[in-house]
Amino acid sequence: MIDEARLEQELTTIGRQLADDLPETRNPLKAADDKAMELASADAELKAALFRFVDVVPACRNLDDLARHLTALLSEVDEPPPPIAVAMRMGDSRAGRTALGAAAARGVRHMAHRFIVGESPREAMKTLQGLWKDDVASTVDLLGEATVTQSEAQHYADRCAEALDELVERSAQWPARPGLEADSSGPLPRANLSVKVSALTPLLRPDAPEKGQRDAAERLRPLLRRARDRGAHLHIDMESMDSRDAVTELILDLLAEDEFREGPSAGFVLQAYLRDSPATADLALEWATHGAGAARTQPLTVRLVKGAYWDHEVAEAAQHGWSAPVFEVKADCDLNFEALTRRLIDGRGHVRPAIASHNLRSLAHAIAYNRLTGGEDSDLELQVLRGLGDPIQEALAAQRLRVRSYCPVGDLVAGMSYLVRRLLENTSNESFLLAQSQGTSIDELLARPEPSAAEAAGR
Amino acid sequence: MSALTAFANEPVLELRRPAVRADLAGALEALDAELPLRVPVWIGDERREGEDIVSVDPSHAERVVAGAAAATPAEVDRALDVAQAGFREWAATPAEGRADVLLKAAEILRAGRLRAAALALRECAKPWPEADGDVAEAIDFLEFYARGAVELAGGAPLLQVPGERNELRYAPRGIVTVISPWNFPLAIPLGMTAAGLATGNAVILKPAEQAPGCSLVLAEALSEAGVPPGAFQLLPGLGEVGAGLVEDPRVHTIAFTGSNQVGLEIVRSAAEVRDGQKHLKRVVAEMGGKNCVIVDSDADLDEVVPALVQSAFAYAGQKCSAAARVLVHEAAHDALLERLGGAVSVLEVGPADRMSIDVPAVIEAEALQRHARFAELAGREGRIVASASDVPGDGFYAPPTLVADLPEGSDVLASEIFAPLLAVERVSSIDHACDRIDDSPFALTGGLFCRNPQTVEHVVRRSPVGNLYVNRHITAAMVGRQPFGGNKLSGTGTKAGGPGYLQQFVEPRVVTENTMRHGLVV
Repeated sequence: MIDEARLEQELTTIGRQLADDLPETRNPLKAADDKAMELASADAELKAALFRFVDVVPACRNLDDLARHLTALLSEVDEPPPPIAVAMRMGDSRAGRTALGAAAARGVRHMAHRFIVGESPREAMKTLQGLWKDDVASTVDLLGEATVTQSEAQHYADRCAEALDELVERSAQWPARPGLEADSSGPLPRANLSVKVSALTPLLRPDAPEKGQRDAAERLRPLLRRARDRGAHLHIDMESMDSRDAVTELILDLLAEDEFREGPSAGFVLQAYLRDSPATADLALEWATHGAGAARTQPLTVRLVKGAYWDHEVAEAAQHGWSAPVFEVKADCDLNFEALTRRLIDGRGHVRPAIASHNLRSLAHAIAYNRLTGGEDSDLELQVLRGLGDPIQEALAAQRLRVRSYCPVGDLVAGMSYLVRRLLENTSNESFLLAQSQGTSIDELLARPEPSAAEAAGR
Repeated sequence: MSALTAFANEPVLELRRPAVRADLAGALEALDAELPLRVPVWIGDERREGEDIVSVDPSHAERVVAGAAAATPAEVDRALDVAQAGFREWAATPAEGRADVLLKAAEILRAGRLRAAALALRECAKPWPEADGDVAEAIDFLEFYARGAVELAGGAPLLQVPGERNELRYAPRGIVTVISPWNFPLAIPLGMTAAGLATGNAVILKPAEQAPGCSLVLAEALSEAGVPPGAFQLLPGLGEVGAGLVEDPRVHTIAFTGSNQVGLEIVRSAAEVRDGQKHLKRVVAEMGGKNCVIVDSDADLDEVVPALVQSAFAYAGQKCSAAARVLVHEAAHDALLERLGGAVSVLEVGPADRMSIDVPAVIEAEALQRHARFAELAGREGRIVASASDVPGDGFYAPPTLVADLPEGSDVLASEIFAPLLAVERVSSIDHACDRIDDSPFALTGGLFCRNPQTVEHVVRRSPVGNLYVNRHITAAMVGRQPFGGNKLSGTGTKAGGPGYLQQFVEPRVVTENTMRHGLVV
């Protein structure tokens, strides 16, 4: 049993140290090029217009088309701030539209570049190597359009295979970084790729998961073999609730197959915003400790995230008359995140916890709990998103903590849905980063979340 | 009666949860043990069984689902006599009392929802999600119209001046004949029936000959809930039963959903005032469609492809709202066709009870032949882009088919095929697409994929369809959210599950009373 008071104390100390190490000027929302996002955060109509614009940019045929979309979307904003009115006037002439379209395209591309590290793995290598030199590991996510055909699924699998090769080959040249390359359970691969099951098959259906699982397995097995043979880590990302069970079952079943007993290093994702995520944690921990995965030599990495499909889950449930599968109050989700953090850390040796958050309290909690329960800092992986978590990542690295940056790779068309999700997260009223940028005090940011009345009553 | 809560749609089953799916097989097994159902001609308190009509499982044509008696002309005559008496009793029941009965019927259906869904699955080859949606919609109609009729019974406000009192009330019209299709074998017959009953009419239901079993479930629920024997009667039969009901002078309202040909015949027949008839008949008709989806150059194909597959091929294209034509901007045409072709070629065709299938059997052999005929024509006049290859042989399975490059004026683009066939057309602009759609006599549903709000507004203004869906699939209208019905030759413009629908089943009566007595307003 942990001493909660001591934990809070330790956590506060760690949180304050991290806050001190945050690079002041680099808060993403304070950067000069983020005026649009700041503006958008304050005005719901403008936010909708800008999001819809960012979303349609890759499908615009030329600059004129781009400008027409921008002005059409902005004309729906009732009280446009002055810069918007200027844009609207530019939309009145062809020359104006070309200039406006070019400026808007530049703006979106600039924004995309903050979140997307390159159009191809090869292009991304420079950034990844730079991170490594700064004591930051990475995982690469290949952005892609939705998979609706078999050839698209195969194309994605081929890209993953190439990326694995590229990452292994190039990262071999990197200088030694002992803090990033091993924990108590053994060595940690430098090359780390995150893949999406929904991109590996067009057949994944929520009400009939088996067919999609079988089809995805045909493409996932060769990737697992490749990762095993080349010594890379393969991580299976999680998407919406519709595929959660299918993906969890698939990865645990595959990793339990004989040929993967000795590797590769692999992992999956636990989404703390899901009300039933503790049951998924049970499943994975049981699998790793006593079940089919216990015989594996490499512990299963479990990346704990809050979850990126909150709006989708809430809307889908409301449209079907279902109760939402996610916590609807942020504090409840934060508390669940902490409870799951503890369970994963308690499972050290059987699983490798990777705590992914930009919330200073959540991170400090994980670090403090790990230390108080006798863990080495190297046994705890912390993860951030490229473009959003950069300052926190710097602070973590400065404290010699083991941090990994999730780095999407791909072109703008393929990356759009990712970009929109990140922007949404960034401008959300409950965003930790937004609160931080608006000067919320460090004590408030580190305070223990208070459960909602419904949750406290046991619901 | 207790105060009514606000209407909310009946939740559909959350089939993504394994525990929810686990219940389905048991429900189907239990139903199978009951088959074949025996569906009577049910007039007043009397039930006469028979084997004149037999419904089979389209997935396994040797499985008999129900055997039904077909109403004779004498039975049609008697049912109308009984309905005349039943109408007087039911119309005298206050709206709140009628609503109570319908809400009880909803409760009964809710309790038996898996059995009802299993029956729709067997009798009409509706896959589980579709069959469950059908039951949920049937419940919705009961709940929605029960509330709507109570509200309607309050009349409508009129201008008042000193010395007179003006009042507008709605009275039931009399006998409603409901003639229903097989494609929503629960929701559509029950929706039309519930509208008639809620407003105080007597209803005679002539269900589709392909789905008598499902109509029995509805009749039993209504009867058990307390609808008096004369207020609702079930007359299974073939076309002549419907024709007999339509032409009878005792009928006041005909609520019909089905083909254009039959719908137009009903409109014609109902227009004639026959011997002894002292009123004009009213026809509420939902008929055919040839539903078009416009895809602009700025559409997100990641969204378009799954939405089109669902709209065109779910339930084998046999929804009134299903997509039949895609009119795509030339800048997006080739990319869309390639991706859509790939998506169609992986569709799984198979029996409705298999959860993994995408496309079930079509309803009957005639539909299969119609599909084959049009696919052949499309191959000759244009090009078959893709079709599902692995199609079982023992049921009425039509391979989902994607066609393109058809000449303007091709019958494939004009006729309602009501089977899994989707035609893609290249257009030079959105107005070009709208012009082509204007040429069609149909205007039921339509779709638009576009991310420019000005273009969306332009199409909204031009589009004649009853239900236009923007950036989503064009099927699965929900009661209260997407009131459903078409314009032009697709229907009478009435909106099932929407405000105003119940007006079709009542007649307005205005009473003006002089409140002056000896120069005093009292």
